[in-house]
Amino acid sequence: MINLKINGKEHNLDVEADVPLVWVLRDYLGLNAVKFGCGIAVCGACTVHVDNKPVRSCVVPVGSLKDKQITTLEGVESDIAAKIKKAWLDLQVPQCGYCQPGQIMSVINLLETNPNPDDADIDDAMSGNLCRCGTYLKIREAIHVAAESIK
Amino acid sequence: MRDETSIIGKSLPLIDGYEKVTGRLKYAGDIPPLQRMHYAKVLRSPYAHAKVVHIDTSAAEALPGVSAVITHKDEITGKKKTCNSPWHDFSFNFRGPMISQEVCYVGDEVAVVSAIDEDVAKEAIKLIEVEYEELPAIFDMEESIKPGAPQVHPWGPNALDPSVFEWGDIEEGFKEADHIIENRITMGNQQHAPLDRNSCMAHWEGDKVSIWTSTQALFWIRDAVTEFFELSPNKVRVHSTPTGGSFGLWWGNNFMFLAVALARKAKRPVRLILTRDEVMTTVKRREKPLIDAKIGIKKDGTMVSQSYRHLMDNGAYGNKFDPYQSVADIYTTKHGRAEFIGVATNLLPAGCMRGVGDLTLAYAMEQTIDMAAEKIGMDPVEFRLKNHWQTGDICHTSQEVLFAKLLFNKTPEVELTSSGLAECISKGAEKIGWKDKWKGWGKPSSVDGHKIRGVGMGISTHISGLAFFGFNGITLKVNPDGTMVLTTGIGRMGQGGDTTQAMVAAEVMGVELEDINVVDGDTEVVGHTMVTFGSNGMHMVSRATKAAAEHAKEQLLEFAAKELEANPEDLDIKNRRIYVKGTEDVGIELKELMSKPIYEYLAAPEVIGSASKGVEFHKAGKMMMADFAEIEIDTRTAQMKVIKFVAYHDSGTVVNPAVCENQVAGGYYQSMGLCTTENLVFDDETGAILNPNFMDYKVVGPMDMPDPEIYFGEVYDEDGPFGAKGIGEGVTCAVPIAISSAVYNALGVRIDPPMTPEKILDALKSKGR
Ligand code: FES
Ligand code: FES
Repeated sequence: MINLKINGKEHNLDVEADVPLVWVLRDYLGLNAVKFGCGIAVCGACTVHVDNKPVRSCVVPVGSLKDKQITTLEGVESDIAAKIKKAWLDLQVPQCGYCQPGQIMSVINLLETNPNPDDADIDDAMSGNLCRCGTYLKIREAIHVAAESIK
Repeated sequence: MRDETSIIGKSLPLIDGYEKVTGRLKYAGDIPPLQRMHYAKVLRSPYAHAKVVHIDTSAAEALPGVSAVITHKDEITGKKKTCNSPWHDFSFNFRGPMISQEVCYVGDEVAVVSAIDEDVAKEAIKLIEVEYEELPAIFDMEESIKPGAPQVHPWGPNALDPSVFEWGDIEEGFKEADHIIENRITMGNQQHAPLDRNSCMAHWEGDKVSIWTSTQALFWIRDAVTEFFELSPNKVRVHSTPTGGSFGLWWGNNFMFLAVALARKAKRPVRLILTRDEVMTTVKRREKPLIDAKIGIKKDGTMVSQSYRHLMDNGAYGNKFDPYQSVADIYTTKHGRAEFIGVATNLLPAGCMRGVGDLTLAYAMEQTIDMAAEKIGMDPVEFRLKNHWQTGDICHTSQEVLFAKLLFNKTPEVELTSSGLAECISKGAEKIGWKDKWKGWGKPSSVDGHKIRGVGMGISTHISGLAFFGFNGITLKVNPDGTMVLTTGIGRMGQGGDTTQAMVAAEVMGVELEDINVVDGDTEVVGHTMVTFGSNGMHMVSRATKAAAEHAKEQLLEFAAKELEANPEDLDIKNRRIYVKGTEDVGIELKELMSKPIYEYLAAPEVIGSASKGVEFHKAGKMMMADFAEIEIDTRTAQMKVIKFVAYHDSGTVVNPAVCENQVAGGYYQSMGLCTTENLVFDDETGAILNPNFMDYKVVGPMDMPDPEIYFGEVYDEDGPFGAKGIGEGVTCAVPIAISSAVYNALGVRIDPPMTPEKILDALKSKGR
């Protein structure tokens, strides 16, 4: 049994300690905003927050998460997150949408830690989130718009 | 001419945007498992070419938790048809058995297992004993077409019969020319590499099968399953979910057959989700071209003749005998010839990928044209402005011509509806600052120490669908409060087709976009749309959407005419209200009309519009692209970086600017991948793909390129709904030539994609730098 704190709730799950977090979130808990892309920490589709920091859940074994707070897009409720989603909608960021939950999780962390990011900060925070549809242009714009609206 | 519109032309938000930004949108892999569902795993060939001489599945079958094992020997229809029977896909993306006895590439299916979970299925796969007899394999196109070359697959020759298009008199054409330029190009192997993975769940109830899969091609899949398993369309129901990016990868395959056959044998629902590795090594890739081009020009730069021989590496099961789009029609010449030959190799099958055909041939054509312009010292912008394709010109190499020949033995003419190339070329040149930056052929725009800059440009065209994609059936139902439900098979792959189709309906109906719900993704509910490919959504499917809305509007106006004691012809709708033209204060709210009982019927009206529309092929609407690039090469590191990129495109009326910008940007990043880092590497010895993951096959990330500058030359297309043409695929086509031409001007050496630092280093060395 492994005890995990996910989106503010405790879960006791019968899984092996070496199972990557992404599968526990998706297959056991149905938290499908967490996507699987590459499985090797390259694409960012599986990004969640562990103790408020973005991590790639495809390479984090659940055994390493004792006493840590895990948050998925389903569980973020902050005002900042709401503003980001609004900017995403207003600027029409998504194309297929598959990478977007991971992108948004990275942006939430960026704007929570740095409400005034410049282009370099944005590149830094977002470099690990791939988008095969090529929404990068809109993502950069939307981050600025969201940051502006949070001020 | 241009219509007065209130919805078309606005960047209205995507109707599924909220689902996408909250992560609630369900792709096939997110659909909850059905009760008793099992999971499938595939045993794949380690050999590029071999015969399965013996296969023993008894240990796998005996493993607790395994529900079914299928090999090439299994009967799949109860009528002596085995998995080893070839399958002919009418779209030429794939032809081959579901599971072959003679495996033809590394990764070909040998057996498939369903079990209680993926771990047990994997375990079972390991217990299958296979004895292979290795056969000679061939990996090179030119080797493959040599006489006496080993057969790549057990049916048919290695090279398909060529498809040939000829006009004028090509011999005469080259005689008329003052200069003849010959050139050969090739490219790497690009893969679609979506972030999502192909997945299919199948479930039989009695003699009827239901399928859940991510695709924009639900009817194509229904028809493929119907044909392969010899079923009535009444017995096959396809539920399509959005795709996590398609780019051509989510149709034209047959992996879903495996789930269908397993579910029948196991007598329970079965889900097959491909691994990342399988997505990249067993579904398909862009066809690799080898093109010989020959162009004849006059001294003054007039093009008089052009000829192309385009070999396409189809891999083991690809079945293209032409590039599947209209090509070679970027320039008008009196004389021309284009020959396309699909060649089999024992490599991953090739098939459609975004911009197919146009991307490869336009690249060859454009590079050769650059060489021609250089020969007479003409500026490439000027050369293109002089020769480009114009409204009303003939589409000599249109697929329609080919199909008319194949189906009816006729050779009709197909006319181009509109061309915005003049505007795209001249205005694009202004935007990049061509006049200042162009310093002549093979000459850098600037040199700053070890940094050399160059500019380049190129143009292309692409279809907006093809007539033989078939009829589209659409319905629009009006609810009692004046809201509406649109059913369509347009599919959701990130192109925003559901949103833009709803915009077309809302425009006709005089309502807001938010009033319209879109239902898609169920072959038993929505009308036929074969597939969304070839950028056919806006130019073709919209005709049916528009006609269905007009049909519903007609009914509404008739009901309203009674209510308002007016003639239906005197009425119109806007802002959700029907009014008398000329006396706008006389009218009735849509909501009131739809909810108010009519005396004769003692009931409120019921309105449903429907239309089924094909497209007559004598006119073809093509999108037009002119791309301009400024690049910089660092002579110390041999790295190339993009400084500025201008995309000036004509897709007719821009229906939703934000959606269209997304398409152009996406095409740019994807094609930049093809130009730089994207290339499937095949092992010379074994034919296996060595880089089937995102670490080693590198798609463009957010920091790799500057964003493109995007402009639209909106030339109203008389034939397109609201003047619109397609957009989704053509956006990739002119990028490679713009980049390669800029590299040439910086270095004085032509390099084909992928333009890797190794190739750039060689080029620098050859120039003594
Ligand atoms: S799936 Fe975890 S980073 Fe790609
Ligand atoms: S929106 Fe499709 S992968 Fe990013």
